[in-house]
Amino acid sequence: MSKQSSPREVDPWRFTGSFLARLLGGQVPEAPTHEAIPWSPLAKPLAECRVALLSTAGLSMRSDERFDMDFERQNPTRGDSSWRALRADATAADIHADHLHIDTGYIERDLNVALPLDRLHELVAAGEVGSAAPTHYSIMGYQGSDASELETRSAPEIASRMRSEEVDLALLAPV
Amino acid sequence: MGLVARVLEAEGISTVTLNMIWVFQRALGMPRVAAIEHPFGRPYGDVGDRQTQAAVLRAALAVASGALTPGHVEHLPFVWHEDPKQTKWHPAEASPIIAHMKRQRGS
Repeated sequence: MSKQSSPREVDPWRFTGSFLARLLGGQVPEAPTHEAIPWSPLAKPLAECRVALLSTAGLSMRSDERFDMDFERQNPTRGDSSWRALRADATAADIHADHLHIDTGYIERDLNVALPLDRLHELVAAGEVGSAAPTHYSIMGYQGSDASELETRSAPEIASRMRSEEVDLALLAPV
Repeated sequence: MGLVARVLEAEGISTVTLNMIWVFQRALGMPRVAAIEHPFGRPYGDVGDRQTQAAVLRAALAVASGALTPGHVEHLPFVWHEDPKQTKWHPAEASPIIAHMKRQRGS
């Protein structure tokens, strides 16, 4: 179980190892490169909000097409840019986890480590969250040198699906 | 990934991004970031650790109502139960890009 510390800044490189810390650290821009940050504040208390979860772990329902790992094996600087809808009652037994940059074995034993649907349902039952969306989401986080399809196709499609299901708040968790 | 949050937020959906490499999320201009010091692949907690999973979920959701300015980074206070050297998160085989880079370095 994770302990809780006194307030401090999170060390982003604690688990990377020195190679990845140098590699990834060198890619962080010194100055912000983004345009204005979009901002849609919550219009109501969390206890009245509908929440959807999104993971970058390459999760797919076993009944659906899996994320394409062969594409990345053949093109190491690219990754599958598609997305998958996940049922709100999904468990580890219902999903495939395809991601070549992490050990997916933990997710395959307990989906809640990356997509805590069971915990979300408990917060809804306790009245802390209004409702869980009918649909939750996954992408495969490694996009390599080109995230344009993720940004221009998959993300708008996910947004459209969330809006159709009246989602107020999306909690995204890169793995 | 960060780009997805920006698109959702622009479409009127509030977002919180729970992430270890929060410096990237900040540089990309994420609306709200919940920074966490957990290993890759298990951002919410370890297998079967319902208490931590629930606490992290609750803390991340709270950032949605607690953050008042765009680009807010909230540092969550969770400390992973294993030392980094004992924490396994790497895939069994190096990812294609890492294998590619190592081949290039060796050539």
